[in-house]
Amino acid sequence: MNRPDPNKLASGLCRREMLQKTGVGMGWLGLFGLLSDSQVLAESSISSPDPGNPLLSRPPHFAPRAKNVIHIYLNGGPSQVDTFDPKPALEKYSGKPLPGGNLTTERPTGGLLPSPFKFERYGESGLEISEIFSRTAAHADEMTVIRSMYANTPNHEQSMRLMNCGDERLNRPSLGAWLLYGMGTANQNLPGYVVMCPGYPVANVSNWRSAFLPGIYQGTHIDTRKARVKELVENIEASHVSPAAQRRQLDLLSSLNRRHQDTRGGGAALEARIQSFELAFRMQLEATDAFDISRESKSIRELYGPSLQSRQLLMARRLVERGVRFVQLYHGNVQPWDSHSEIGKNHRKLAGECDQGIAALLTDLKQRGLLEDTLVVCGGEFGRTPAVEMPQPGTGNNRLGRDHNHWGFSIWLAGGGVRGGQVYGATDEFGYKAVENRVHVHDLHATLLHLLGFDHEKLTYRHAGRDFRLTDVSGRVVKEIIS
Amino acid sequence: MIARTGFFSPIFLLGALFTANPALAARDPSAEDVDFFERKIRPVLVEHCYRCHSQEAKKVRGKLFLDTRDGVLAGGETGPAIVAGNASASLLLQALRYEKLEMPPKGQLPAGVIADFENWIERGAADPRAATGAAARVKGGDSREHWSYQPLVKPSLPEVKNAGGWAVSAIDHFVLDRLERAGIRPSPRSSRRVLLRRLSYDLIGLPPTEKEMEDFIGDPSPDAYEKVVDRLLASPRYGERWGRHWLDVARYSDTKDLVLLFGKDRVRPYAYTYRDYVVRALNLDLPYDSFIADQLAGDRHQEGEDAWRKAAMGFLTLGRMFDNNPPDIYDDRIDTVTRGLLGLTVACARCHDHKYDSIPTEDYYSLYGIFSASEAPISLPVIGDPLDPGAYAGFKKKHGEISGKLRHHIDSQHELITRTARDKTADYLVRAATTKPDVAETGVFFLSLSPEDLRPLLVARWRRYLEERGSSGDPVFGPWSELLALKGDDFSARASLVVKKWLGRATGTAQGQLNPLLRNALAEEVPGSPRALAALYGSTFQRVYQKWVKTVGKVELAEAEKQLLAPLISREGPLFIPRRLTYLHMSRVPRDQYSGFLKELDGIAVGHSGAPPRAMVLVDGEDQRDPKIFVRGNPRRPGASVPRRFLEVLSRGVRPVFDEGSGRAELARAITHPDNPLTARVMANRIWMHLLGAPLVSTPNDFGVRSDPPSHPRLLDWLARTLVDEGWSQKRLQREIVLSNVYSQSSLERAEAAAVDPANSLFWRARRKRLDFEAMRDSLLSVAGRLDTRMSGPSVDIAKDLANRRRTVYGLVDRQELPGLFRSFDFPSPDQSIGRRSNTTVPQQALFAMNSSFLVVQARELVRAMGGPSAPDRLEALYSRLYQRRPDDRERSEGLVFIEAAGSGESRQNFGAWEQYAQVLLLTNEFFFVD
Repeated sequence: MNRPDPNKLASGLCRREMLQKTGVGMGWLGLFGLLSDSQVLAESSISSPDPGNPLLSRPPHFAPRAKNVIHIYLNGGPSQVDTFDPKPALEKYSGKPLPGGNLTTERPTGGLLPSPFKFERYGESGLEISEIFSRTAAHADEMTVIRSMYANTPNHEQSMRLMNCGDERLNRPSLGAWLLYGMGTANQNLPGYVVMCPGYPVANVSNWRSAFLPGIYQGTHIDTRKARVKELVENIEASHVSPAAQRRQLDLLSSLNRRHQDTRGGGAALEARIQSFELAFRMQLEATDAFDISRESKSIRELYGPSLQSRQLLMARRLVERGVRFVQLYHGNVQPWDSHSEIGKNHRKLAGECDQGIAALLTDLKQRGLLEDTLVVCGGEFGRTPAVEMPQPGTGNNRLGRDHNHWGFSIWLAGGGVRGGQVYGATDEFGYKAVENRVHVHDLHATLLHLLGFDHEKLTYRHAGRDFRLTDVSGRVVKEIIS
Repeated sequence: MIARTGFFSPIFLLGALFTANPALAARDPSAEDVDFFERKIRPVLVEHCYRCHSQEAKKVRGKLFLDTRDGVLAGGETGPAIVAGNASASLLLQALRYEKLEMPPKGQLPAGVIADFENWIERGAADPRAATGAAARVKGGDSREHWSYQPLVKPSLPEVKNAGGWAVSAIDHFVLDRLERAGIRPSPRSSRRVLLRRLSYDLIGLPPTEKEMEDFIGDPSPDAYEKVVDRLLASPRYGERWGRHWLDVARYSDTKDLVLLFGKDRVRPYAYTYRDYVVRALNLDLPYDSFIADQLAGDRHQEGEDAWRKAAMGFLTLGRMFDNNPPDIYDDRIDTVTRGLLGLTVACARCHDHKYDSIPTEDYYSLYGIFSASEAPISLPVIGDPLDPGAYAGFKKKHGEISGKLRHHIDSQHELITRTARDKTADYLVRAATTKPDVAETGVFFLSLSPEDLRPLLVARWRRYLEERGSSGDPVFGPWSELLALKGDDFSARASLVVKKWLGRATGTAQGQLNPLLRNALAEEVPGSPRALAALYGSTFQRVYQKWVKTVGKVELAEAEKQLLAPLISREGPLFIPRRLTYLHMSRVPRDQYSGFLKELDGIAVGHSGAPPRAMVLVDGEDQRDPKIFVRGNPRRPGASVPRRFLEVLSRGVRPVFDEGSGRAELARAITHPDNPLTARVMANRIWMHLLGAPLVSTPNDFGVRSDPPSHPRLLDWLARTLVDEGWSQKRLQREIVLSNVYSQSSLERAEAAAVDPANSLFWRARRKRLDFEAMRDSLLSVAGRLDTRMSGPSVDIAKDLANRRRTVYGLVDRQELPGLFRSFDFPSPDQSIGRRSNTTVPQQALFAMNSSFLVVQARELVRAMGGPSAPDRLEALYSRLYQRRPDDRERSEGLVFIEAAGSGESRQNFGAWEQYAQVLLLTNEFFFVD
C-alpha cells in the first residue's frame, strides 16, 4: 500500500508481526480492535489505544465518493430477465431453443421462457424495470443498472465467494475485510463490518472472512432470525447481575488491576485490558441501541414495512448512520432466490418481501442526506437462464424454472458517486450472455474500491510470500457508471 | 507402487519414442553444421525470437530462452523446444508451422525458413553458442545465498565479559553477547513464585496448585528448579499444551468445509485421532524427525503396537476440501508441509517461479506429484478399540454394509463411465475437433451431468492428449493435427493433398510412419470436414477397441492395433480415471448417491460408541504418473513433465528422483535429512517462541528472503543444531532453554534498558504473556476445581456445551463456523497453517468475562469449593487458590467491603455477593497474565 501501514505498530514492528497469525474472524471483535499484542506493545510507552488501533478511520488512497456501503445481497441468483433486463425477444421465441444452442450452465435447459412479469419505464430516465420491483423502481433516477455482469461458473458457492472475496475456492479476504483493512471504520463502538442474514447463506462464513488479513477485519454475522435485540450479539447482556452490581464489580476489578499494574511499572498490554472492560461496559448500551429499531418513529417503521427484510434494511440504515463502514444484508438462509422451478410464483414472492424495504431505504437515506456518502449495491451472485430448466430426476424441480447463469446478469448501484438513471452494458438478444461493455466481478470490485477511494491494484497485503489484492491480477474500473 | 493389472498390460510405452537420439545430440557439430546454423538459423532467432525469448527480453515469455544452447534444449513452460534429430517432434518446429502454437505471433515465417529449421534439427541441431548465459534460465529468485539455506553448523560460544557470572548455559552466552554489545545488563532472576507460574503455563498450560507452590518455595535442595522442570515435562498435561501449538501449524479442524453439510454431518469422525496422536507423540517425546515421517508417511507403520502412528497423517488430510477439487487439495498439502516444516512458501510457485525465493514452478509440481500419487482409502485403517467393545459388532456390520455399497457404487460407476467414454470416442473426437474449450472443462467439476453428456473433464483430457500427440511425425495423430490445421472453406480440397502426402509415407508404428489401419481408413475416404475427420478416427479406434473387448486375453493384437488401442485403454491415455477420482465424472444422481454414502459412512461413526478409532491416512494411489507443470497454474494448460523429488534449493546438488510409491517417505527423509538446515531452524524457532514469548525469526512459517533475518542468528543455529544433535528431542531442547538464565529473568520493566531496546528484542527481560484461549479456559476450570483431565477421544463441543469440563484441546474445532468464543480470544484460522497467533485485546473478551454463563458457572463452583466458616478465611482461600498467595491488607479490606455492599444489593440467579466477588478475582490481570 502507498499509505501508512495500518498494522504498523508504535513499537516499530510492522505487519510482518501479524503475518499468518490471522485468518479467522473475530466476529464481533470488529467493535474495537486494539491490537495490543502483549509481546509487541508491552514495551512501548503507549497508554492510549489509538496508535495501535487498526480499525481507526483512515483516509484511503484518494478522495472517496462513498464512505459506507450497503450491499443488499439477493442470494441464490435473481433472474435478470425477470427483474432489470427486459427481453421481449423471449416472447417471440418462446419454447424454442436458443439459436446455436443453449450455453452450458449447471443443469440441462430447454426452450426459451418469456418473463411472466411486465416491465415498465420509470423515472425521467425511463429505466425499464420489472413490476415485481415497482417500488424500488421509483428510484430509477438514482440507479445505474449494470446489465452486463458476468462471473466464472454456474454454481452458488463458487460464485458467492467470487462475488464476496474475488476468488471461487481459495482462502481470500472479503471485500468488507479489505475495506476495513484499508480505511478502518468511523465508530469504534460498533463493528465496522456487519453481515445480517436470517441464518447463513451458502458458503457460510467464507463470504465475510478475513482470510489472511488480521481477524479483526472479518465481518460480524448477525442472525436476524433472532427477534430480541440482546440476542443478536453474544454476551451483550448480563443476566446474572444487575447493572448496578456489575458496575460495582468493574470498579473493584479496576482497583485491583491498577495496583497490579503499578507494582509492575505500567505496561501497555495491562492497560489495554483494563480499558477493554470499560469499553465493554459502554458497548452494552450502544450496541443494543444500534440494532433496536423500536426506537424509530412509527412513520419510518411503516415506510419500511413489517417484513424481516424491512427490519434488516432499517437496521442497516441505523448502522450506517452510526458510522459502520460496510453492511451486507442477505435475503435469506441458504439461497432463497434460487428459483429452479416456478419462477413466476417464487420471484414474485421474493421481490414482494424486499421491494418495499429497499425503496424505503433509498428514500430514507436520501432524506437524511446519507445517500451521497453511502453506496448501495443490490444483486446476486449470478443470474438465471432465459431458457427453461429441464426437469431432472433426483433434483426435485419440476417446471417453469430457470437454471443458474453466470454468463450474464444484472446488478444495480445507487448513491455514493454513482451516476443515476442509466443502464450500463447489455446482454444478448435473449438475456443469456453479457455481450456489450462486459463487467466481470473483478471489474465490479475494482469499481467499488475506486468509489471508496482505493486503487485496487495498490490495496495489497503480504501473506505467505506474496502481495495479495482483492482483484487478483484483473480488474477494470468502470468509469462510465461514476457520476 | 501398485502393480499394474493385466487389464492394462498389453500397453507399451509411447513416451520412449519421443526422447531425443542421444547419439545425435551428443556428437560434436561439424563445421558444416555450424556454418548452417550461423547462416540460416541464428539470424532468424535473433530477428524473430529474441525479443521475447532471450536474456535481453524485457519480459521473457513462456520461460523459454532461445539465445543459448541449453535454453533451447531445456525449453520453456511447455517442454523442450527441440528434440535434436527429430524435427517433427520438436515444439519449435511445430510452433513455426503454426500447428500447436503459432510463432512468431506476428505472422508465419516463409516456408523456406521453416524448412531450414526442419533441416537443422534433423541434422542434430548443431549450436555453437554458449551452453548457458549468465542467467540462461531464471529459476525463481536468485536467493541461494540467503541465510536460512546455509548449512547448519554449531556456532562457537561468543566471548563475553560475563560480569557476575550470569552466563551459565550456552544460550546465556549468545544472549549476553548481544546485551553487552548494546550496553544492557540482563534482568535479575525472578522469584520462585513467578518462576513456577511461568514454567507451569509454558510447559503444561495450567496454573500451579497451592500445594505445588508451597512445595517449590519450601524446597531447599539445589536442584529444586530442575526437579520442577522435569516433573512438568513428564506430565501428561505437557502433550496437551504443546500438542495444541502444533495443531496451529497443522491447521487442525474437526469438520469438513463442504457446502450443505450441517451439524453432525460436518464432523470428520476420525479427525480427533490426529490430535490424539500429536498429544501422545509429544508426551513420549517422539523424535521430531520421526514425528515428521509419521505425518507424511505414517501409512507405512504396521498393524499392532505402532498402529496409532498412522493417525499422524491427519497432518495432510485434515485441510479444507475446496469443493473436492483435487489441485486445490494438493496445494493445501504442499503449503502446509512447506510452510509448516520448512518455513518456505512453496505454494507461491503454483503459477510461476517464486518471485523471491529459489523455488521454480517445477519444484512445486514435483511435490504436487507426490500428493497426486497418494489417495485416501475408502476404509480407513482401524488403530484401536472402540469405547464400547460391546457395540462394535453392530457398528462393524453397518460400516461394512455402507462401505461395501460405496465400493460397489464406485466400481460400477467407474466401469460405466470408462466404458461409455470408450464407446463414445467418436463423439469426444468430434467435440474436440469442432468446438473451442467450454467453461465446463476449465474447472467446473461440480456440474449436474446427465448420463448421456460427454464428461467435460474427459473432453479436456482428449484435447490435451491430441495436442501433445499431434506432431507431424506421429503415426496416428500426425494426419489429425495437420488436417485440423487447415484453414478456410476448401477443407476437402486441401485435405486430399495432405492425405495424399501421408499415404505416401511408409506404413508402420514408428515415428514418421503412418499407422497401417489408419492408412486404410484414410485411403478409403478423404474426410470432407473436421467432423468427418473425427468420425473417421473414431470409427478406426472403435473397430480395434471392439475387437479387443471380444478377444482380450485370447488373441495377441498386432502392433498397429495396440497403437490405436492405447489412447482408449492405457494409463497414459486420456480416459484413465483413478478409481478414487471417479466422482469427478459421475452424473448428478449417482454423484449424489456417492456423497450420500460418504456422509452415511461418516455419520454412523460420529458419536457411536462402537466406532473404533481410525487413522485418516493417505496411501500410495492408483495414479503414479509423473506430474505435469500446469502453466500459470491452469490444469487446462499442462506443460512439461517433472519427476517427483525434493526442492532444488535444499538439495545441494544431489536430487534423487523419488521412486518408492508416491514418494512421501522419501520426502520425509529429505525434510529431516541432517543436511537440510531449515527443518531444525524452523522448529527451534517455534520452541523458542512459545517459551520466551517472541520468536527469533519473526515469521515462523516463512524463512524465505522476504522474511526478517533472525534477531540472534548464532543462537538460532545453536538451538537448531542442538535439536538435531540431541536426537531431535523437543523436550531436551525445551529443558535446555528453561534452565537458562535468559528464561528465568524477571519480567519487570527497566527504564534504562528500555531506552536502548524498547521492544526487548535482545531478551533483557522476560516477556509478560497473556493467557491464550486454551490456557484461559483451562485455568478457569482448574481453579474452580472442575477440570476433567480425561485424555483423548472424539472432540466435544465446548462452545455449545458450557458445562463441559474437558481441556480445551479436546474441544471441537469447526472450521465452517468457528465459535465467537474461539475467535475473540485469537484462536487461529484452521484453514491454513499458522505460525504465530495474534494477540489482541478487545471488548468481546471482556464481554465474555463479564457476561457469559461459562464464567458464571466457574465463579459459582469456585465459591462452593471454598467453603470456609468466616468471610476473611474464605477470602484468603480464594487468593490462595487463584493466585497462590495471601491477600495484602488492602486487598482484604477492599474485598470485605465489596462483599458487604454486594450482599445488600439485588441477587439474581443465585449469584450472590461471594459469587460476584469470585468472578472479579477470576477476571483480574493477575489471573490473566503470566509475569
